[in-house]
Amino acid sequence: MPNVQSFSTLRARSYVFRLPLFTRLMVLAIVVLWLVGIQSAWDLRKWGALIPDEMNFFTAYRMNTFPLIHLNFLHALLNLLALTPLLERFESEYGTLTSAAMFFGPLTTIPAVTYVILERVIFRVNTPVMGASMWVFLLFSVEAVRTYKINPYFVIGTVHVPTWTTPLVMAFVTAALIPSTSFLGHLCGIGTGYLFGLGYLKFIAPPEKILRWIEGKLNLLGRLPHYVSVDQKTYGRFGVLPSNSSSASALFVGRSPKLQKAPPYISLLLIVVGVAWLFMLPMNDYSRRTYISENALLPGQVHTYFGGSDQNVLRAYRHEVGALENKTNTEVNDKLEHMFRSMGLKVGRQNYTYTTSGNTVAGENVYAILQAPRGDATEAIVLVAAWRNVKGEFNRNGLAVALALTRYFKRWSLWSKDIILVVPPDSRAGTQAWVDAYHDSHDSRRVADLPIKSGALQGALAIDYPQEERFEGVHIVYDGVNGQLPNLDLINSVTNIASGQMGMGSSIQHMFHHNDQYRDRLTCMLRGMVNQGLGHAVGPHSSFIPYHVDAITIQPVGQGWHDEMGLGRLIEGTFRSLNNLLEHLHQSFFFYLLMQKERFVSIGTYLPSAMLIAANFTITAIALWVKTGYAAKADTEKESKDIKEKKGVDAKKSEQTAEEAPAPVERELYLPLSLVTGCQFLGFVPLFIFNHAPASVLAPLFVAVTLLSLVLPHALSFFLVTTYQPTHQQYQLITSFFLLLLGMFLSTLATLNFSLAFLVGLLATPLTFVRPFPKMPAAGYAYSALLSLLNPGVVVLSAAVATTTLHGSGLGLGVVGVTPWEAIQKVLEEGAFGWGVWGMYTPLIFWCVWFPAWLVGSVVVLG
Amino acid sequence: MTKDKMSFQATAGTAGLFVVAAALRLLLFTAFPGLPNLLTGRVEISTPVTSFKRLQEGLFLYNHNVNPYDGGVYHQAPLLLPLFSLLPDPSTYPIFTYILYTLVDLLSANALYKIAESGEGGASRLYSSPRKEKRWNGYVVAALFLFNPFTIATCIGRPTSVFTTCAILHAVAKALSGNIFTSMLSLSFATYLSMYPLLLLPPMVILAYDRTYNPKVPKSLAQLAGMCTLAVSASLALLFLSSYALTGSWEFLSSTYGIQLTLTDLTPNAGLWWYFFTEMFDSFRSFFLGVFWLHLSSYTPALTIRLRQQPLAVITLLLGIFAIFKPYPSIADTSLFLSLVPCFRHVFPLLRYSFVTASVVLYGTFLGPAFYHLWIYAGSGNANFFYAITLVWSLGLSLIVSDLAFAVLRDEWEVERPEMRGKEIRQI
Repeated sequence: MPNVQSFSTLRARSYVFRLPLFTRLMVLAIVVLWLVGIQSAWDLRKWGALIPDEMNFFTAYRMNTFPLIHLNFLHALLNLLALTPLLERFESEYGTLTSAAMFFGPLTTIPAVTYVILERVIFRVNTPVMGASMWVFLLFSVEAVRTYKINPYFVIGTVHVPTWTTPLVMAFVTAALIPSTSFLGHLCGIGTGYLFGLGYLKFIAPPEKILRWIEGKLNLLGRLPHYVSVDQKTYGRFGVLPSNSSSASALFVGRSPKLQKAPPYISLLLIVVGVAWLFMLPMNDYSRRTYISENALLPGQVHTYFGGSDQNVLRAYRHEVGALENKTNTEVNDKLEHMFRSMGLKVGRQNYTYTTSGNTVAGENVYAILQAPRGDATEAIVLVAAWRNVKGEFNRNGLAVALALTRYFKRWSLWSKDIILVVPPDSRAGTQAWVDAYHDSHDSRRVADLPIKSGALQGALAIDYPQEERFEGVHIVYDGVNGQLPNLDLINSVTNIASGQMGMGSSIQHMFHHNDQYRDRLTCMLRGMVNQGLGHAVGPHSSFIPYHVDAITIQPVGQGWHDEMGLGRLIEGTFRSLNNLLEHLHQSFFFYLLMQKERFVSIGTYLPSAMLIAANFTITAIALWVKTGYAAKADTEKESKDIKEKKGVDAKKSEQTAEEAPAPVERELYLPLSLVTGCQFLGFVPLFIFNHAPASVLAPLFVAVTLLSLVLPHALSFFLVTTYQPTHQQYQLITSFFLLLLGMFLSTLATLNFSLAFLVGLLATPLTFVRPFPKMPAAGYAYSALLSLLNPGVVVLSAAVATTTLHGSGLGLGVVGVTPWEAIQKVLEEGAFGWGVWGMYTPLIFWCVWFPAWLVGSVVVLG
Repeated sequence: MTKDKMSFQATAGTAGLFVVAAALRLLLFTAFPGLPNLLTGRVEISTPVTSFKRLQEGLFLYNHNVNPYDGGVYHQAPLLLPLFSLLPDPSTYPIFTYILYTLVDLLSANALYKIAESGEGGASRLYSSPRKEKRWNGYVVAALFLFNPFTIATCIGRPTSVFTTCAILHAVAKALSGNIFTSMLSLSFATYLSMYPLLLLPPMVILAYDRTYNPKVPKSLAQLAGMCTLAVSASLALLFLSSYALTGSWEFLSSTYGIQLTLTDLTPNAGLWWYFFTEMFDSFRSFFLGVFWLHLSSYTPALTIRLRQQPLAVITLLLGIFAIFKPYPSIADTSLFLSLVPCFRHVFPLLRYSFVTASVVLYGTFLGPAFYHLWIYAGSGNANFFYAITLVWSLGLSLIVSDLAFAVLRDEWEVERPEMRGKEIRQI
């Protein structure tokens, strides 16, 4: 009997599936009769119960119907639970036919007749009974007698209790605990059970010879599923069973052909669900409104005083900055240093030189530290105003606002954190050099050390304000390098202050007119995902985020009535909020997708979509591995012959097991392993090339590599087929291995950069279904053509063409006035720049995860 | 004649293999100058008791005539200090350190080559597997060790555990070739460096006993065990005395072995102890330290008795268990365990979970650094992320260990019950 400790759902499932025929039928009958009993038109219970006074020759049917009819649901359920295992035991021991004969005959009638006689003659009462509990006690007694023969006593203290009494004890307990049970009926069952168990009723069992004859004539064994033969009955239930599986998972997948066919459909289902999941997210039920999680922030709760005469100061700074527009970096920094010193700030300067794609990016950062009057220089907030923004525009107003604000901040005594104003000459490399050096993780050959530092950075705000006119609202840019995001509380605070206190609009992801409907939300989310997936720096703030410094860039946009002073007050309010922080921002989310400035989904809600896509690869990989453990039925003979020829040692083993299909086979691992490993490492070659080639040759080189990569699978496949003649099993193993790797890489990546994992996973989904088409070369070529369309290089090229020609209609990434050729060069330069300067790993994923998987998949298809 | 030729070919092949492996390591060292320092900082490779960075700190103090154990950073054996102070400063001339570590790896591979060639995995004195024909020669086993990514990463991360690895492998190799005293000396060195190898003494004695057994002049096992214990204690005493002479105090005992015994340094690592002990109330600490150590050491007698006939299997399984359950495990321990597993090529068909374990270990390898990054650098995860992955990693390793133990026992069982070959058994 199964006990609680060893219970497993798998075992229980297989137990239920292996229930023999008669047991099934009885269970079915009980359930059906219970269902019939629900209606009230015809009283089934009155018709079928064993009512002693109504027994006569014509109502003898009641003797057979009463065990199958139950009072109510609970009665039926409890009896079913008790009866099924006992009946199953009985049936697998005696065979289906015998069980049927016994239970429709003596084993039911004898106790029934006994009961009726006892009721009518001795007790002179009339208690109707129904339900299978009589059977239960009968079978239980049979078991108890058997146990008694092996194990006569169990000991309680010094008392030896004979084991055959257990059914009696049970009957007493049942009678005491459960109301309206027929103690007498149970006793009748127990009595019959004892007699049967002791062998006194053997004579009533139908002779085996006849049963065997019936079974043979009707071919019951072949026709009926789960039929227990008369001959089969002698088999024990436990012990060593012959089997040919070598792995636990193979136990059920390997044997059942139905389950073997399922994995592709499961994979497909996972992909469909994964994609559908993503498209559900913008709905109201799946996304949430944002909220301020960190109490200390108190956004918009302070008066902002930036105004009045500060406007004159700001105008003066704008003049000064404007005068420096065409000066060199050093001259500008000299002047800025002078201005900072005159405000009474400490100033530092830092040189940096980066070389990527043959271009040199060099410059000098200048920064000033405002020491907190109430702090101890252990924490700092950063204000960044780059000389030029990411588009290369002169950030005149931004710098003027930053200077005026710094001068204004200097007058306040409430700062508990230092404030650092950083002015890098550009928005891409300068901040990166500064943050790297601030955290001492810079390469001192390229980036100089910082002469002065402050405490741990708690947050950073960058101003990007090149436009001259007044503005309508602010655009918040929040994507960090490698798709990392700042704490959601920071974005919420700025949105909150801007709309609640300043009456400004705010927007994200270039969605300046957002109607908060499904379509706009989806567009906004997808734009965010593309930015996250590309993993590049989108503003001067991006470089801060990998160092766990929450940072955003604020860009005033549109034509409106807000002026620079409004922007200054917005920043003042935000800084006051950050100043309140007692701890680093940690309350709110770090993993989220924003679909409107006030609506988001958190990681728990969106991660499953990428994980499902990654899981589809893993499932196919596991299924293929299990499959390769067995020769396909048709191939069994051929395969085992092959093996015999190849390996004399294995011959014996395969002979032994060849009789039982499907036969286990040895896996040929060397070729698949080396092919997959080789292709995986091959990816490093283009990675190296594109990170080191000069900018001018990048675009033609990329096209050449793409063309080469389209030819490569054909060449590799030709080489494989001519040299090694891989078997079907080897192709399956190759597929299994590369899919396992792909699934693993993507699920790891999904925890770091969800969007990238999702996009790569989605574009790689056709790889799940690759297999060789030896008999239909046309299908192989067609599939290969499909895969060629999804070649990583081809995808990038077509994306470049699409964004340059179809601008406006797509995701708003359209670039105007750029030829596709220039666009590709720009993308590649950005990739190399990101790899070298920002530590962006997108190229690595591209060349060492996606490309190898595509390559191996294409080789398999052509095999 | 042919035998000579074959052995010559083998040596030529191994020489080629060693040259390629050394070249690969030196190439990785020199082509990626940032790589050694990056890997040295990884918690999966460097533990508080093996870290190269901490060795540098100890070395600096030692060279300036300060007690290297002052400051509580250095927890490694004192005799490593004079060895490394002989080398030029690794920050200016790193190449000498690189060469040293490469050589140590090659020495380990050489020992492994001998172990595999001895055929002890398939056929020991008391037990000969029916599958023993199917085995890998020393070349393959050494290659699997030398090109195992874990071994390479360990070599480049330069933890001092490679010396322990080398000493253990040499102890096994010498025991196999019958040089009992060299073997015991080697084991003493391993024990001196890392302490836990002392638990390998019983199977090592049995291995040495089996390999030197002469049916004509049978010796008693107890006698040999006594001699071996004496040899190990004597050489350990010598090592301790010289350490005392070197540092001038017995403080090194508490700073090296004491740290391992009491786990005072709770730097995260790939093992299971650190998280448990960061969460623990101080009053329970000593109790659980006792329990953890008792658990770790209880495997030695159990496995030694059960697998008396196959001492090499005992050593391999124990190394696997140490890689999971010892206080400061790293992938160096994993690579040592994995290096000995190919010696049991004959039981590979009996492994039941090879794909599952491979996947779990691979997932652990990739998700571990990712979650560590999320915890420490990105700040968006927490310690539970990394600990969850170390659990997965340990699960993978323990699956390998238990699967291998199953396969070895199954192999033995099929000799007892030949009619059961190829049939599945089910536990009742």
